[in-house]
Amino acid sequence: MDGPVVALLGLLALLALLVIRVPVGLAMLAVGVAGIALIRPGATLPVVAGEIFAVASKYSLTIIPLFMLMGGLAVASGMSRDLYQAAHAWLGGVRGSLASASIVACAGFSALSGSSLAAALTMGRVSLPEMRRFRYDDALATGAIAAGGTLGILIPPSAGLVIYGILTEESIGRLFIAGVMPGILLTLLFLLAVWIVVWRDPEKAPERAVPVSWRERWQATRRAVWVAGIVVLTIGGIYAGVFSAIEAAGVGALLALIAALARRALTSEAVREVVGVTLQASGTAFLILFGAFTFKVFLGFTEIAFLASQWVASQGLSGTHVVIIVLAMFVVLGTFLDGFAMLVLTVPLVQPVLESLGVDMVWFGVLIVITLEMGLISPPVGLNIFVVKGVAPDVPVHTMYRGIAPFWLAMLFALILLVAIPTLATFLPDGMYG
Amino acid sequence: MATSAASRRESFARAESLCLGMAAAFAVLGGAGLALLLGITVAEIVARHLLGNPLVGVEDLATTSLVVVVAAAVAYGARAGSHVSVNLLGRFGQRKLTRITDVAARTISVSATVVATYALFAEGACGRDCGALTGSLGIVHTPFYFVLGTAMAVYALLLTTQLLLGLAAWHDEDPNEPRL
Repeated sequence: MDGPVVALLGLLALLALLVIRVPVGLAMLAVGVAGIALIRPGATLPVVAGEIFAVASKYSLTIIPLFMLMGGLAVASGMSRDLYQAAHAWLGGVRGSLASASIVACAGFSALSGSSLAAALTMGRVSLPEMRRFRYDDALATGAIAAGGTLGILIPPSAGLVIYGILTEESIGRLFIAGVMPGILLTLLFLLAVWIVVWRDPEKAPERAVPVSWRERWQATRRAVWVAGIVVLTIGGIYAGVFSAIEAAGVGALLALIAALARRALTSEAVREVVGVTLQASGTAFLILFGAFTFKVFLGFTEIAFLASQWVASQGLSGTHVVIIVLAMFVVLGTFLDGFAMLVLTVPLVQPVLESLGVDMVWFGVLIVITLEMGLISPPVGLNIFVVKGVAPDVPVHTMYRGIAPFWLAMLFALILLVAIPTLATFLPDGMYG
Repeated sequence: MATSAASRRESFARAESLCLGMAAAFAVLGGAGLALLLGITVAEIVARHLLGNPLVGVEDLATTSLVVVVAAAVAYGARAGSHVSVNLLGRFGQRKLTRITDVAARTISVSATVVATYALFAEGACGRDCGALTGSLGIVHTPFYFVLGTAMAVYALLLTTQLLLGLAAWHDEDPNEPRL
C-alpha cells in the first residue's frame, strides 16, 4: 500500500477510535503503532519506546508540571478568591459588574494557571454564588464563567501554547509573549460582550452590587498583591529576558509555595490536593503527547505532509488562504473534538504546508489556541460548559449555550481581527526577540 | 448463576481497587518528584542569577526527575480518570451501543498500553551498552524507562479490570462509564 493511502486509513481509524471513546493519547498511540508496524515493522518498538522516553524527559516540558503546580498552590492559598474580590472591588457598583469581575478574575487566574478548566472551575466556585445572590440571569452568569475560563489557554502560562511549541519546535517563551496582547484583547471583548448583553436587557443583571469604598478597594488590591507579584515576576521576567520560560515556571511555583506557606494554607489535605491536581493535569497532557509523537513519526513515514505541501503549492493558495481554511476547519472540528486532540492531530499535518508558504508559526499558534478556546465552549462537547455545569447543576445546559453565544462571537471577532492584523500578536515577541 | 455473576463482579472490583491502589502509590512518587524538580529548578536559578555560576548537570537531574513525575502523572491520571476521551457517543448513543463500543475501546486501549509497556522494558534494558545515558552526569536511562514502563503497566492493568467489570455489568450500568 502507498504511504498516503496508509496515512488516510490511519486518520480514518483514528477518528473511529476517538468516536468509540478511546482516550485521545491511546488512540493516537494505537494508530501510530499499527501504522509504523505496517510500513516499517522493525522500527515499531524502538520508535514507541524512544518517543515516549523522549517526551517524558524533554527538558522544555518541565514547564508543564511546574506551572500546574503554581496554579494548584494559587488555588490552595486562596489567591483565586483574592483576585475575584479585587476585580469586584474595582468593577463593583455598575450593572453587570459581577459578570465583568468574573471575567477579569479569570484573566488574572489564567496568568497563574495554564489550564482553562482550572480557571473555569475555580472562578465558578467563587463567583457563581455571588452572581446568583444578586439574581443575575443564569445564562449570563454561567456563560461569563465558561468563556472567562477559556482565557486560561491563551494568557501565558498556557498549556495549549506549550504543547503547540513542543509540536512545532517554536520557542515557548516567544509563544507566551505572543499570547499576552490577544489575551488582553479577548478579555476586553468579553467585557464588551457583557456590557452589550446587559445594555440590551438590563433584567439580566437586575441588582447593582453594593458600592465599595476606596478603602475597601485598596484593601482588596493589597490582598491580591501576591498574584500581581507572581505574574510580574514570571511573565515580566520572560519578557525582560531575565528568565527562560522554564525558570519562570520554577520562580512562579516557588512564590506560590511561599504564599501558601505564609498564609498557613498548606495543610496535609491541601498538599494532597495540590499534588493530585498537578499530576492529573500533567498526566492528561503527557499521555496525549506520547500518542502525538508516535503518530507524528507514523505520518512522517507516509510522507503525506510533503505531498500535501506539494498539492497546496500546485493550487496557488497563499499562506493567508490556507490559514483561513485551517482555522475554519478548527472551528468546525472544535464543536465535537477535544482541543488538545485537534491540536496534536492536525498540527503535524499542516505545519510543513504552512512553513512552505512562509506563515509565521508563532502568529498561527495564537490563532489556533483561540480556536481551541472556541471549542471549549462550543456545543455539544465544550468541556468548560460541563465544568460550569458541575458548579451549577440546576442550570440546564441549553441555558448555558444561550449564555455562551455572545462570548463565542467575541472570540470569532478576535480571531478575524488577528488574522487581519497579525502584528497584534507578533509585535511583542518581535520587539523582544527580533 | 446470579451469585456467580455477582461474585465475579466482586472479584473484578477487588482487582480494580488493587490497581487503583498501585496508581495512588505513584502519586507519592510523583509528589517527591515534583518537590525535587522544583528544588533543582530553583537551585539552578539561584546559582545562575544570584551566584553567577551555573550548576553542572542540572538539566540531567531535571529531566530524570521529570520522567518520574510523568510516570506518576500517567498512572495517577488513569486512576483519577483524567485521560480525556471524546464522549459524543455517551451523549447521543444508547447504553446497548456503548457497552459494545466500550469493550472495543478498552481492548484497543489495553493493547496500546501493553505494547508501550513491552517496548519501554525491552528497549530500555539496553542502557549503557546502547549509549542511553544523560549528557553531563552519565545517568543511565534504564531505570527511568522501567519507571515509565511500570506506570504504563499499571494503566494497562487498570484498563483490563475495567474491561472485565464492563463485561460483568453487561446488562447493568457500567461503573466506569465516562461522566462528561
